[in-house]
Amino acid sequence: MTTAPVTFTVKSYKSDLKPIWCPGCGDYGVLSALYKAMANCQLDPDKTVVVSGIGCSSRLPGFVSSYGFHGVHGRALPIATGIKASRPDLKVIVVGGDGDGYSIGGGHLPHAARRNLDMTYLIMNNNTYGLTKGQVSPTSMLPLISKNPKIDPKRWRTTPYGMVEDHLDPLALAIAADMSFVARGFSYRPNQLTEILTQALQHKGFALIDTFSPCPTMNQDQTDEFYKEKTFDVPEDHDPTNKGAAFSLATHPTGYPIGVIYKHLGKPSMQDEGWVLHERLAAEPPATVEGLFKKYL
Amino acid sequence: MAVRTTELTTDVTIRLVGESGEGTISLGELAARMLTMLGLEICTFQTFPAEIKGGTVMFQVRARAGAVYSEGDAANILVALTEDGYHLMGGNLAEDGIVLYDSDVFTPTPAPGRWDLGMPITSMAKAEKDALKAEMEGEQVARLPAPKNIVGLGALLTLIDAPLTPAEQYITDLFGRKGEGIVRMNIRALHSGANRVKQEIGTHRTPHIKPQERTTPVITVSGNQMVAMGALAGGLGFFGGYPITPATEIMEFLAKELPRFGGDLIQAEDEIAALAMLCGASYAGKKVMTSTSGPGLSLMVELINFAGQAEIPLVICDVQRGGASTGMPTKTSQGDLNLAVYGVHNESPHIVFAASSVEDCFWAAIDALNLAETYQCPVILLSDQALATRKNTLPTPDFSAVKTVERIKPAAEDLGPNFRRYLDTATGISAMAIPGTTGGAYTATGIEHDEIGNPGYTPQLAKKMKNKRFRKLETLQKDQAADFAHVYPHKGEGLADVGIIAFGSTEGVLREAAERAEAEGISTAHLHLRLLSPLPLAQIEAFVASCKTILVPELNYTGQLAGLLRANVDIKLHAYHKDEGVPFVARELFDQIRALASQN
Repeated sequence: MTTAPVTFTVKSYKSDLKPIWCPGCGDYGVLSALYKAMANCQLDPDKTVVVSGIGCSSRLPGFVSSYGFHGVHGRALPIATGIKASRPDLKVIVVGGDGDGYSIGGGHLPHAARRNLDMTYLIMNNNTYGLTKGQVSPTSMLPLISKNPKIDPKRWRTTPYGMVEDHLDPLALAIAADMSFVARGFSYRPNQLTEILTQALQHKGFALIDTFSPCPTMNQDQTDEFYKEKTFDVPEDHDPTNKGAAFSLATHPTGYPIGVIYKHLGKPSMQDEGWVLHERLAAEPPATVEGLFKKYL
Repeated sequence: MAVRTTELTTDVTIRLVGESGEGTISLGELAARMLTMLGLEICTFQTFPAEIKGGTVMFQVRARAGAVYSEGDAANILVALTEDGYHLMGGNLAEDGIVLYDSDVFTPTPAPGRWDLGMPITSMAKAEKDALKAEMEGEQVARLPAPKNIVGLGALLTLIDAPLTPAEQYITDLFGRKGEGIVRMNIRALHSGANRVKQEIGTHRTPHIKPQERTTPVITVSGNQMVAMGALAGGLGFFGGYPITPATEIMEFLAKELPRFGGDLIQAEDEIAALAMLCGASYAGKKVMTSTSGPGLSLMVELINFAGQAEIPLVICDVQRGGASTGMPTKTSQGDLNLAVYGVHNESPHIVFAASSVEDCFWAAIDALNLAETYQCPVILLSDQALATRKNTLPTPDFSAVKTVERIKPAAEDLGPNFRRYLDTATGISAMAIPGTTGGAYTATGIEHDEIGNPGYTPQLAKKMKNKRFRKLETLQKDQAADFAHVYPHKGEGLADVGIIAFGSTEGVLREAAERAEAEGISTAHLHLRLLSPLPLAQIEAFVASCKTILVPELNYTGQLAGLLRANVDIKLHAYHKDEGVPFVARELFDQIRALASQN
């Protein structure tokens, strides 16, 4: 077996812009793992597009030297869908936060799963809205009003009396929607995150990686310490192709598994179907507008 | 033997009303087809219920020797298949008109001057089906609908003294695949309708259609079909859309045809996703379009501004419909002009264009794609329900006149680290690198940015980059704006008595009204705008200076074009606007012109 020559190193992916994140932000670790995973996969920056929505983490495309697309809040997935569906030759990586992906953009998730285009969706989940300075997100796990004897308006800006909504479990959602690759990473486990991202980038189909990326400025509840305590490695004997087992693991009652949780190998994909269609149509006489008009004579 | 008192005519309007799903539209389309085969030019109009099945439909067909500008004023013949249809949409019949009604269903109250011709269409059709059942057995015959529309067609053709031979041939071709028995039943149904009219006609006055020699073949197409074919001719590579009445037909047409041209189409999960997909595919190098109607356009607004800011070429075809919110989705309106021109947060450069006729839908789609590619911004192409569903006979477009434009790509020496995607140029237009281009990497962004695309918020940068983007519209105004309007000057010398400024689907009916006015000695000029934002200001000012008075007719409640003109041009104008779900008729516009001329 021959090893492919190394053309691209981590340095190849670093742009001249320096990240504007707060000191201690989990996103630094995610960006670093992404550079390494891109180098592991030898992605050509000129043939790669990093797409994002709006939020702290959505500034990431500017920090990568590849083509980038910094879109509008919540629409990274359909933007990426337009890129990948029309240009299957490009590598498409989608990044963003939990508010972007699970709240305003949540409606696009099941449809990305249905289309199953080859792309990687990396969500930096800090359980809060960081850019707008500390409102609850769909994944915030703050105490409910009934469980909270005090009020703390400084920290919980739009829920000063406590939460009124339960939080969303993104992994359970992703498995239910049958995304063909579902994983969880943690920015404080950088090597493991690099490994997960490398697998995701090599996956054929749609991959979602929910990554705990704590916000030290706005979230004093789901901190790095909180996650260090609550996370554990996906057990070695876990079979990610077993949907029931994956669902049980994703909804573990006391902790958060880190690793690849679910895989649906051989799931139909819009990309493959489109390829078959174009192959089939290529065998037919070429279409012309002049020819179309003959039908209306 | 029947005695016929005919009036030779080369202009007849037939209106058909009935229950949706009962063959009214198909009868209308068959009649239009037969009239086309007689060498006449056709214009149709249809209005239908929003329900899947049920409700009253109306189909109007006008046949004329020579150009046909509108679907006609008062109908010469009304075919009424239901009582509800007769009451709801049976109005606007000529004083000496004919009502052909199904006497199995109802009998209208007679009116003076009118000939009411009752025919038991339902039982006549059933008799033909029963006759076939007696001859043949089998599931296919049992499930066959009774040929009501063919009985009606025979009657209608005889009423206008048209030959039945083309219809017989058409029936043979249409039903040939289903077997000889079914062809026979339909031909018998045709003659049964025809014979009944011959028995009844007596001394009644009926329009007599004069067949025409056709020198060149014509196509019969709708506005929606022409937008779709124009998009293909314009080089469309990607379409993302979400179904919405009355725009869906464009997406359905392209779903079938676009892959044959090498392109891709996705039915998105909503209109926001549809426009987001367009942004992605355009960034990736494709020419892109979506089709929607007002409510969908509202959902797209945020991304329209994004595309303006990030300089992404795309086309949104808005097939306008009646009313706000769900409103009257199957009726027509020109009520989205304000949304198209002003409906963005803050400001970002975009172009608003309007198709003026079925023929123009083809060219407007090409122009819209070319404008998007040239100026790298969103283009909103306005159509409306009446135009979208209107069918016209037309010559096949002159394909040698189709010109397609590609966006500017960077020169080799401009590529490399820190490629300046948003270079501040004299025209405002900067080269756009397509992913895959070595040394062209940049981040497209809605955030304010410098020439490279890096974020920045200084007043100096904000001024420079907003100027750069808006300069593209100045370039358009300077280089191309005067190319797009249709100008119909008045005959004769000096100032026109009345000058009409309008846009969109009203072009034909306005031409008809203007020609009628000219014929009555009122000199009438007509400027029909296709480019609505930015406006061709110099051209409008010159037109206004050439007329004594200006009339601005449009199909919306508040007079949106009048408002747009008042805001941009030093102009005194007379606005005429209404939003009732139906198109203008030539007579009401002629009355407006005449009233205005008398005030001069």
